[in-house]
Amino acid sequence: MIKIGIPRALFYFRYGEFWQHFFRNLGYEIVVSPSTNKQILEQGLKYVSSEICLPVKIICGHIEVLKNQVDAIFLPRFVELNHGLYTCPKMIGIVDIAQIQVGNACEILSPKIKDNFMLAHFQTGLKLTGNPIKVIKALNRAIPYLSHHKKLSNSEDHKQRILLLSHFYNLWDDFIGKDIINSFQSCGFDIATKEDLPDKVLKSDKGFAKNIRWVYERELYNAFQYYSDKVAGICNIISFGCGPDSLIGEIMSKQANEYKTPFLQLIIDEHTSKTGINTRIEAFSEIINRNYQSKPYLTK
Amino acid sequence: MKVAFPYFGYDTIALKNFLEMLGAEVVLPPLPTERTLSLGTKYSPELICLPFKITLGNFIEALEAGADTLFMAAGARKCRFGYYHFIQETILKQIDNNVDFYPISQYTPFEFIFQKMPKIFSVSPARVMKSINFLLAHSRLIENFRKLVRQARVIDFTLASIHEKHALEIIADAINLMQIRKARKEIKALFNFADDLPENIIKVGLVGEIYLMLEPFANHDIEKELGKMGVLVLNNRSLYRHIKHLLHIDFDRIKLNHRAYKYLKESPGGEALNTVGEARTFIKNGVDGIIHIFPFTCMPENIALEALQKMSDDYSVPILSLSIDEHTSKIGLLTRLEAFIDILKRVKNQKAVSRVPRSSLLTPH
Ligand code: SF4
Ligand code: SF4
Repeated sequence: MIKIGIPRALFYFRYGEFWQHFFRNLGYEIVVSPSTNKQILEQGLKYVSSEICLPVKIICGHIEVLKNQVDAIFLPRFVELNHGLYTCPKMIGIVDIAQIQVGNACEILSPKIKDNFMLAHFQTGLKLTGNPIKVIKALNRAIPYLSHHKKLSNSEDHKQRILLLSHFYNLWDDFIGKDIINSFQSCGFDIATKEDLPDKVLKSDKGFAKNIRWVYERELYNAFQYYSDKVAGICNIISFGCGPDSLIGEIMSKQANEYKTPFLQLIIDEHTSKTGINTRIEAFSEIINRNYQSKPYLTK
Repeated sequence: MKVAFPYFGYDTIALKNFLEMLGAEVVLPPLPTERTLSLGTKYSPELICLPFKITLGNFIEALEAGADTLFMAAGARKCRFGYYHFIQETILKQIDNNVDFYPISQYTPFEFIFQKMPKIFSVSPARVMKSINFLLAHSRLIENFRKLVRQARVIDFTLASIHEKHALEIIADAINLMQIRKARKEIKALFNFADDLPENIIKVGLVGEIYLMLEPFANHDIEKELGKMGVLVLNNRSLYRHIKHLLHIDFDRIKLNHRAYKYLKESPGGEALNTVGEARTFIKNGVDGIIHIFPFTCMPENIALEALQKMSDDYSVPILSLSIDEHTSKIGLLTRLEAFIDILKRVKNQKAVSRVPRSSLLTPH
């Protein structure tokens, strides 16, 4: 039986469940790489230049883990989503990097996704099985798992709330996100993320958002706008070397300044230490508390 | 209305003449210096790529020089460049509230010809088209000149520098098509001492991000420095080709993209496909090495870098990657260039092709 590997990194944190169900429904064995750890990261560091962002380094590590145990690695090339919005140069290029990295060790299954998410998956399935009906059935049964978004808080209680603004592959990869989330929680905050918001808000193209042609940056920006007067503070996690974040992060930070919402930019890379993060978050929560005493209405 | 725009290497002259043809009064900021860079860096977001910082520095110095209308290329696509102007405008408005800032989208030539330019300068679309035609001719003249001067430097560096100054004056003075034709002949005559190149010369192909390939201040004058070492530099990027590309008449691109396809199956944005395609062409034409230059953390070029490493292995041609930011020191850069050229010389003399280990080429800065 053909074994298909899925790296537990980058797009896995949005589409992973869907992919697993889809390929299982088609009758393939799925191997998902283990959760990111230090060794995986170090493997990845060997394959890309040091100036590339952390999530790309991490996914290279996962590909390394998978390449000798599976027949094919599933790594779609996300070029455009949501009607002509781009992902990011590195998400497009990662497939080529992976191809160079694995060489002949295994295949890379990488349908090109240019505003045709379902069709691209259908074609992949068809190529594998040659049975359109089976593929449609498999897709249909997998679709409910597309909208499985993680949530951290569902509270309407009167704890203080902060917004953690970050790409899903940073936030939900425990190797990166867990320390940050824990640190905020132990400072007594409730955490809102962009995943809590309905698609309608995230995909809106009102105001400045219409200028942003990067699909995930637009989501981040919309979440920022939506929450900016509903939370006590905003923390923006940026990977060092991330191009889109370096710009949109700057724009958000300038606007947060205008709105007088406390805004923390946490820049992370493979050298970031847990203590460093904790110190910065504690200092930030001090600022929020001071700010909050003057504006108690910010609880909700 | 006093118009200014950021420097763009030798092609600055062509852009200046273009705007003057439309009736603008152009104020060129002082040539970029360390001050430009530190001013730009001071006001820039920390993690942004180098072209942002230098062009912002240019703008600030242009304001100091009395400009009140600023032009910046725009057009949001996959990479950061198209978004520069949003932040630059905010920053510049904080410095001088009265400044007019016009982002010019690169990817809408029709809007540019029929709406944008006629509105800003109150001229007819026909005049804009005539000026574009002139811009093409002028930037082609500059491309030609750059090619000649690169060859001339290898033969006699001092003489080339003297003639270079003279040639630049000729280029600046050419303000219609007739004069451009005359200028081309004059420049050719100036550099005819370099028509025949010696056989065993070291040839290096320069590829990378367009701003760093064209703006001498940003690339620490890499072409001149290599010329001083007696190395012939090949550089196929120019404003001329870029404009042709924007007007969809650069048919060489198709070939380049095709050549890049072996390594990159989809454009990651920016100039990555060009970089990879050009490098492969250079190698096919028998260069001794490739120099890949790009801004620190540049997204498309970091993807291209991996492709180039593979290419270097496949064809056994050494590649030097130079990632440049505001901390890059010229001395450090020169040392690396010299070491690289030494390797190329050794390889050439041995006539045996050996592989340069990746680690020796990839030390940051
Ligand atoms: S959006 Fe940023 S963090 Fe994500 S892959 Fe692109 S550069 Fe890396
Ligand atoms: S191509 Fe490179 S230098 Fe240009 S905007 Fe993109 S990241 Fe910056």
